[in-house]
Amino acid sequence: MRYSGEHFVSPCLMAMAVGVMITAMKWPFKTALFPMIVSVFIFFGAMAEFLLTFFESKHIVTKQGAVDFQLSEDIDQALANRRTLLGFAWIIGFFLLILLFGFLIAVPLMVFLFLKVQAKERWGISLLLTGLALVFFYGLFIWLLSIPFPVGWILEGLKMPGLG
Amino acid sequence: MLIGSAIGFWVGILPGIGGSATLALMIPFIYKMTPQEAFPFLLGMHSVVSTTGDITSVLFGIPGEATTVATVVDGYPMAKKGEAGRALGAVLMSSLVGALFGAGFMAFSIPIVRPLVLAFGSPEMFMVILLGLTCIATLSGHGKRGFLCGLLSGGFGFLCSLVGQERQAGIIRFTFGQLYLWNELPLIPVVVGLFAIPEIIDLLVRGTAIAGNVSYGNLSKGVRDGIKDTFRHFWLTIRCSLIGSFIGILPGLGGAVAQWVSYAHAVQSAKTLEERAGFGKGDVRGVLGPGAANNSKEGAGLIPTVAFGIPGNSGMAILLGGFFLMGLIPGPDMLTKHLTLTYSMVWTIALSNIIVVAVCLLFINHIANLTTIRGNLLIPFILLLCFIGAYTSNNHIGDLIVLMLFGGIGYFMVRYHWPRPPFILAFILGRLAENYLYVSTSRYGASWLYRPKVITIFLITVAFVLYHFFRKKISIRKEEPHEV
Repeated sequence: MRYSGEHFVSPCLMAMAVGVMITAMKWPFKTALFPMIVSVFIFFGAMAEFLLTFFESKHIVTKQGAVDFQLSEDIDQALANRRTLLGFAWIIGFFLLILLFGFLIAVPLMVFLFLKVQAKERWGISLLLTGLALVFFYGLFIWLLSIPFPVGWILEGLKMPGLG
Repeated sequence: MLIGSAIGFWVGILPGIGGSATLALMIPFIYKMTPQEAFPFLLGMHSVVSTTGDITSVLFGIPGEATTVATVVDGYPMAKKGEAGRALGAVLMSSLVGALFGAGFMAFSIPIVRPLVLAFGSPEMFMVILLGLTCIATLSGHGKRGFLCGLLSGGFGFLCSLVGQERQAGIIRFTFGQLYLWNELPLIPVVVGLFAIPEIIDLLVRGTAIAGNVSYGNLSKGVRDGIKDTFRHFWLTIRCSLIGSFIGILPGLGGAVAQWVSYAHAVQSAKTLEERAGFGKGDVRGVLGPGAANNSKEGAGLIPTVAFGIPGNSGMAILLGGFFLMGLIPGPDMLTKHLTLTYSMVWTIALSNIIVVAVCLLFINHIANLTTIRGNLLIPFILLLCFIGAYTSNNHIGDLIVLMLFGGIGYFMVRYHWPRPPFILAFILGRLAENYLYVSTSRYGASWLYRPKVITIFLITVAFVLYHFFRKKISIRKEEPHEV
């Protein structure tokens, strides 16, 4: 039998439920009541789900899934996995850009890099859309709504010795 | 309302963006609004999503929304037969009739619901939350595994709602030494991460235009015939609207269920076997039924949300978050102190649909263009909205970490077929449920469990679970001989 990610979801939930139970034991009865009930239910439910996933065939497990948004299945699995990782890399990259440079620089930088590197768009379109994104962000969130955005670690670091 | 309707108009047309995700993205914009501005904005957006979602379902066979899947069955074959205009005219007009019916249903139900709400105390409210969660968990999955996953997803949502300072005794729970987490996990980053990130990833994985690699032709022909069809089969449209309203009022069901039940009813309305055989091949009644039902459930879906604080679906769950942000507590107050606001919601649903259907009929040829925009051009802008939307929740970098964390969780839930609606429902209602349990235990000890209304709601919950379990078993048995 081949193990996949779905075999690890229930054990993770069971471990989490045990962790909650142990922590809740230290609390007063009324504070611990709700977390206890929920974690006991999760523990036994996850155990049942684990057994079902473990013993049922892959086809039935997939068929007995959620009535929810489904990922596209008509794409080669290896390519889909690569693009998924790439997608998450862009998301984490955007976060790091915000952390380092702050929103005001990260927003146009991210839009431009995505359009140029990932989408392989022409310079004209990339610059135009980057400009639009900057105008939208600055106009709506900074100028109109006056939301305080962080300046980022690099600019913050430069400010400290008086360089910024 | 007009801005909200305009946003909902585009969101419905674009298959890559869900109505619930956009509702979550729009919630940060209501911080500085009054309730009288915020709800027309949010509802104006949400109530027209199903209307315009039908357009992409008909044109390309790609449902614009999860609630417009059934429209594909007969709408797309009609488009392939060169009757796209007729199908669009029919689906838009039946959507309008459905939306007006649903709004009227809500308006007339409020006086009936009012005494019912006032009769409910903390123990009953706790049980109603459990009933709602059980309903949505049961219907969010196929088979016994799907049922279990739905319940566990709800349980996980309850666990996540425990993070932060407990309200009664002030005990700090699961904050891992982070001051940021003392004030609970913020709703918006959780919702945006859970719903928007998996859809963005999927759009990137597909690597195509948002509506895939499809083209469209001239659609203006036959629109008037489609409108006439709605009135030719007026009682079918009304019956399907009624089905949508009844399903919409039940917590946990909603448009996704309503559209199929009404489609089945439309098929049942065929008088002969030959007539019935035409369904699935482009019968206009197969478009009218789901079109009416998925809109009529909007108004009806607001009844449990407003009166009990029990959202009928994930969209309503997010809207419930909007209530809390505005400082409004769903329940008796909404039917007494804030009754005017409640009735303004009825008008919002009616007016926004009238305006959007009129605009759709005027610009039907041009609106299809948007679905051909390449996904790669849209992704950075959607991502930008996600990050800013999440950040404006607390103006804290922690919001972005929560967004990414729940984006990952959302992706894995979708990938491994774990339903997200029960999670978000439980996450939003977790604190409320705990509070009701705390008050019930403090006030009545264990005796609240023997209250007649509590026992009745408990039995309804059990009956609901058993009904679905046995119904699935029977349908599996019926299918088995064919599979063999």
